[in-house]
Amino acid sequence: MKRQMDGKVSLLDQATDKFSRWQSLALSVLACAGTTLIATPLLNYLDLANIVMLFLLTVFLVAVSLGRQAAILASVLSVVLFDIFFVPPRFSLAVNDIQYLVTFAVMLATGLITAHLAAGLRQQARESRYRAQRTHALYQVAHQLAGALTVTQVVAMTHKFITNELKTKSAILLPNENEQLLAASLESKAMTVDLTFARAAFEKGERVYNKELGNMGYAPLYLPLRASMRIRGVLAVQFAKQSQETTDDLVSLLEALSSLCGVALERLHYVEVAQATEVKMLTERLRSSILSALSHDLRTPLTAMVGLADSLALIKPPLNPMALEIAQALQEQATRLSSMVSNLLDMARLNAGKVVLRREWQPLEEVVGASIKLLGTTLDQHKIKVSLPRDLPLLNFDAVLIERVLCNLLENASKYAPPNTDIILTAHVQAREVQISIADEGKGFPDENRENLFNMFVRGESETEHAGTGLGLAICKAIIESHDGRILADNQASGGACVSFTLPLGSPPIIEQEAP
Amino acid sequence: MSKTVANVLIIEDEKQIRRFVRAALEEENCQVTEAQTIAQGLIEAGQSKPDLIILDLGLPDGDGLALIRDLRSWSDVPVLILSARTQEIEKIAALDAGADDYLSKPFNVGELRARVRAMLRRRARTGEQASPLVEFGAISVDLSRRLVTRQSQPVHLTPLEYRLLSALLSQPGKVLTQRSLLHNIWGPTYIDSSHYLRVYVGHLRQKLEDDPAQPKHFLTETGVGYRFQL
Repeated sequence: MKRQMDGKVSLLDQATDKFSRWQSLALSVLACAGTTLIATPLLNYLDLANIVMLFLLTVFLVAVSLGRQAAILASVLSVVLFDIFFVPPRFSLAVNDIQYLVTFAVMLATGLITAHLAAGLRQQARESRYRAQRTHALYQVAHQLAGALTVTQVVAMTHKFITNELKTKSAILLPNENEQLLAASLESKAMTVDLTFARAAFEKGERVYNKELGNMGYAPLYLPLRASMRIRGVLAVQFAKQSQETTDDLVSLLEALSSLCGVALERLHYVEVAQATEVKMLTERLRSSILSALSHDLRTPLTAMVGLADSLALIKPPLNPMALEIAQALQEQATRLSSMVSNLLDMARLNAGKVVLRREWQPLEEVVGASIKLLGTTLDQHKIKVSLPRDLPLLNFDAVLIERVLCNLLENASKYAPPNTDIILTAHVQAREVQISIADEGKGFPDENRENLFNMFVRGESETEHAGTGLGLAICKAIIESHDGRILADNQASGGACVSFTLPLGSPPIIEQEAP
Repeated sequence: MSKTVANVLIIEDEKQIRRFVRAALEEENCQVTEAQTIAQGLIEAGQSKPDLIILDLGLPDGDGLALIRDLRSWSDVPVLILSARTQEIEKIAALDAGADDYLSKPFNVGELRARVRAMLRRRARTGEQASPLVEFGAISVDLSRRLVTRQSQPVHLTPLEYRLLSALLSQPGKVLTQRSLLHNIWGPTYIDSSHYLRVYVGHLRQKLEDDPAQPKHFLTETGVGYRFQL
């Protein structure tokens, strides 16, 4: 406690005192000597009691203007001078009348008490002046921090405040993306920071003080830069002098500063987030408008090609069979090209990761039926056997996208399985999901490379006679994963291929029963 | 085959598409008028009094939806929409505005001819006295007596199932959007509760289709709505 008091005084004295310690002691001696000189000619007119008053006045004035130590010196000196120059026998320390000892004692006690009280007042005045100054400085730094535009500015402003107001060294540590604390700037190279203590302050959100660390040349005090959402970093402080320790005042000042700094850093963080979001939104809008323009521009000529090839068959007089066959082939190729373009555009859209799912609770049966209907003649050469459990609950999915998955899988199966075989679609409920499987009686998937089947542009057989871009399964995977499901390709024991995917069960909405 | 020549208006900006659509329609003995823009289309619709309008939604001079709404204020001529496959929301908006059916690009001529035939047939029938008896597959529905039979055996339907059935039967071949069905049968507060509609369509399929998983009459237009086909 004593040390702290001393520290405080020394800190304050630095800022406010006009005189050094020796100067004030000398002035105190001069004041007492002056009083003696003035009082000596008055001895004939005044009582000794009144002379004592003059000395007490001097002690009081010294206490108010020069501080405690000067006042104590003045008290002692006043008693001595009063004794020597005024109390008979004069010019000696001896005393004739014993009662003067009481005068001396009272005089000394009054002097010392006055010195103490006056010095206390003086110190309080200085402290409140100092507080006002500090508040003003904090206000100014708060004002500056509110206008800071970059992290570097915030750090520089904080350092400047600490250097100017506290004359100490400091460092600010900020976390990187991996939450590792890194020194944003070391104000001075002579300053060393202990990362373990900084980390502790950062994680616990409390200040850490270790005096031993200071003795070893490290910064002893670590303050978290606290803001409303989280801790934004750590302020490390190394005091210039050993005497300048962590007084309550100093710590609360530093805490105020670090919270100002934290708030400024948080504000900058959110400005950054807002800007990033805006850029992302603009990019997204651009991407989707390019995609839809592309899809319109590509589809228009494809539609014309398919239709024109078709209408060759309507020409009168009819074309010869050879030409009609070519027209048919043209139509088929254009249709295929169109489905490839659709695949590419869908993949681009899904890859952008921003397909908004229009999820609705619905029976699986419906989308299965719609997929089979949509494929139409493609499945003519196979028998599709659908077996779904009667009590299958409603599932929450985007019907258009899941229809896409089912179409791709059924089309694949019909492409690779020999004609007049069965394609079997089954579903069963597992723990928290429904697994849907499509199995065929073809050759199955090749053993190697099965993991890669779901990657873009990978095909089961590289030298295949079947047309395709290798995007079908990749699209399925992207769609299923956006529904929080899994998809995997396997071969059945009987040899045919089997692709299964899962959809989460969730809790379907309740359908109110109507009165029959 | 045709008694009266049907008049069809094509509103489409792409010349080559107009060309083959015209060829297909002429094969159906239709008289064809062409327009390239919304503005031109509205004028033609007023002048030539078509029996069917084929409308491309992606026209350069504006929104096809506006044309449909405008048209519906003075005409009930059937409208067939041409639209890209991925734009379900656009299709729904067009159907809700009053369009009757849609074709996804690219489409083949056979599909187009089938749709046009169906729509013209429906239009021809609107003048006739509607029969209370509808028959499809093994099912027969007597709308006047609220009686549904399957191979002459009565089928029990709940009141809501029956209302859904009669809503679908009232406009065979036409795509009815989820929204409009929910609004008409369950009421405006159920517009976002699409699971009701789906579950009840499922009930109808269970009771009236041979294979509910591969329906032939109560068809799903995925992401858009339902269509009843005779």
